[in-house]
Amino acid sequence: MAINLFTDRGVSLDRQKFTWKELVQNPISKLDDEAFTRVRVILMNGVELDSLRMKQVMLRTNGPLREPIAKLMRTEQHQATLINWLIGADHSPIETTIGYEQTAIEVTASVAQLEADPYLAQGYRYALLEDFDHLYRYSALLDRLEGKDANNITQGHTDIIPARPTMVHHRAPEHELLRPYERTATLATKLHALTLTGGEYQTHDYYMNIGPLFTDPMARQLYAEIASIESQHITHYGSMINPDELPLEKMLLQEACEVWNYSACLEQETNPRIKAIWERFLDYELGHLQVVMELCKSQGIDPAELLGDGQLPAPIVFKSHREYLREVIANETQLRKNGTEFVDAAQEGETSLLYREQMNSEGSPSETVSATYRWSAGTELARPPLRRVA
Amino acid sequence: MQPTSLGPNMTGATLAPAALAAMTQATDELTPFDEIDTSEMESQKLAYIDESDAVGSIPVPTTLKGVAKSGLSKLQGKHPGVFLDKLGERLAYERTGVRLYDALILKYESAAQLDQGDVLPAVLLEGPDGQARSPETAEALLHRIRGEELEHFQLITQAIVKMGGDPTCMTPCADVTALASSGFMQVLNDPRTTLAQCLNAMLAVELADNAGWELLATLADDMGEGDLAGQFLGALAQEQEHLLIVKQWLTGLVVEDPKPAAV
Repeated sequence: MAINLFTDRGVSLDRQKFTWKELVQNPISKLDDEAFTRVRVILMNGVELDSLRMKQVMLRTNGPLREPIAKLMRTEQHQATLINWLIGADHSPIETTIGYEQTAIEVTASVAQLEADPYLAQGYRYALLEDFDHLYRYSALLDRLEGKDANNITQGHTDIIPARPTMVHHRAPEHELLRPYERTATLATKLHALTLTGGEYQTHDYYMNIGPLFTDPMARQLYAEIASIESQHITHYGSMINPDELPLEKMLLQEACEVWNYSACLEQETNPRIKAIWERFLDYELGHLQVVMELCKSQGIDPAELLGDGQLPAPIVFKSHREYLREVIANETQLRKNGTEFVDAAQEGETSLLYREQMNSEGSPSETVSATYRWSAGTELARPPLRRVA
Repeated sequence: MQPTSLGPNMTGATLAPAALAAMTQATDELTPFDEIDTSEMESQKLAYIDESDAVGSIPVPTTLKGVAKSGLSKLQGKHPGVFLDKLGERLAYERTGVRLYDALILKYESAAQLDQGDVLPAVLLEGPDGQARSPETAEALLHRIRGEELEHFQLITQAIVKMGGDPTCMTPCADVTALASSGFMQVLNDPRTTLAQCLNAMLAVELADNAGWELLATLADDMGEGDLAGQFLGALAQEQEHLLIVKQWLTGLVVEDPKPAAV
C-alpha cells in the first residue's frame, strides 16, 4: 500500500505507549533469521538514534518547542530500545560489527543507485568502498581472534575482499567535506543523506563503546582506527545536508526519513514478528510527522514545500548488490578527496597525506590485523593450500 | 525456551552455492595471493605484552595478627601473596557459582513444567561408606549443590580472614577468572538456552572448580596450613560429586533419554 505523508496519519502521539516487557522482546536468531533482517534492525536503530540526536540539539536551542520535542523524544527513545534490543547477546561484539558493516555496504549500495544527483551518488560510492574494506579487515580480526567465519553473519550476500585500503582512508578534516545538496533538492536526495548520516553515526558510537571491551591490543587498535574513519564518514555524509535548512525543516525531514525507512522495512521483511514491529513503528512515525507538520505550520513553514505531493521516494532495496559493488571496486578504488572534489590518487589533498603519515607512523592496525588474509568458507584455518594458476 | 530442532539455519556457506562460488571467485581475483603470515601482528602483540602493566595488585593483609598467625610470615623465599590471590579467586568463583545454580534451577523448573515428568535422570551416588545413597530428586540435588557452593564461599571467607586478608577485596586472579567465566553467566541466563546447553556450560564450570580446589589444597599444604588444606579437600570431595552429578545429568539428557523440552 503506497503511503501518503499528508493523508496517512498513523497513530497519534498520545496513543503511542510501551511497557518495559515490550521493549525487551525475543531477539532475532543469529543462526536462523535472514541477514537482511539484522541489517534492517541495525539500520533502524541508527535512524531512530539520529532522530533523537537532532531533537536533543533542537531542545537546547528552541524554547517554545521544548515540550513537543520532549514528547517525541520519549517515544523515539523507546522505539530505538525495542529495535536495538532485538540483537541477541550471542552475537560477539565483532559479529555485530560484521552486521554493521554489511548494513553500511548493502544500504549504501542501494542508496548510491537511487540517488539522482551524480555528485552525491559519487559521494555514496566513495564511502561505500571504505566500509566495504572495513568488512574485510574486521573479518580477518573475527577469524584470527575468535576463530569464526564472518560469512556466518553475512550469509553469502556480501563479498569479503579488500577495496580502498583502510590505511588510506585517513584524511585531513578539510578534505572530508562535500558540497551540500541545494534547498530545492528532491525529497529523495534529502532522505538518502539523512539515512546514511544516521547510520554512520550509530556505527561510530558502537565502535567507540565496544572498542575498550577488548583485551586484545590489536583489536583495540583496529576499533580505534575504524571508529576514527566512521567519524570522518559522519562528516562526509553530514556535510551533504544543506546547512541553510531551518531547524524545524530538518525535523520535518527527519520524520519523513523515518517513515520512508520503516515503509521499506515493512515491505521487505521476511520475519512476521519483526514485520509487525515495522508496521507499528511506521504508524508511530506517521503520527510524529503529523505533530511536526503542525509545528511547521505554526511557524509559517508549509510542509508541502519540503514533502511535495506526499508520495514516498523509491525505497532502499535490501538485497545483495554484489555485481554493482564489483563494478564500483573496479572503477573507483583509486579515487581520493581534495577539498570537496573526488580526484585520482595523485591529486589527493596534501594535508591528508601528512595527516595519514603521522597516524600510520607507528604501524597500521588494519594492515597488521589482515596481513595475507583471504576469506575462506569455514575460516582461514580451513582454507585449502594455495595453488597458483599457471 | 524451546527444544532445539532441525530448522532453517542460515549460516552455512554451502546453503547458497552460487554465492559461495561468487565469493570464492572474488577472493581469488581481489585478495593478495600469499601464504598466511601473521608475524607482524604477533610481534606487535608481544611488544604490548612486554610493555603492559599488571591487571592489578594483591591486597596487603589487613591485620598483622593474621599475618603473624598465618604461614604468610614464614615463607620468605616463596610468594605468599599467591595464596591470598588464589583464595580470592576461589571465593569469587564460589560466590558466582551460587548465582549460576540459581539460574540453572530456573531452567530446570521451566523444563520440568514443559515435560511434565522427570526431566533429569536419577543419579547414582555413593555415601562415605561406599554404599549407594538413597536417591534424591533432581530438584533437591540442585538446591543441595547450590547450598554447598554457598558453604564453600563462606569457608574461603573465613580462611582469608584467618590469613589476615580482606574477603571483600577483588584479587587479580578473582578478576581474571571472572573474565574467563563471564560467558557462563550469559549462557545460563539466556531465556533461549535449553537445560542441556546450560548443563554443558556447568560441566566446564565444575571441571575448572575441581581443578581449582585441588590447587588450593596443595597451596595450603605448602603454606603449612594443614587445617585449611583438610577443609579444602573436604570441599573438593563435594565438588567432585557436583561434577559427577552434572556429567550424569548431561549424559542422560543427551545420550540416554533425551527429553524434547530440555535438549
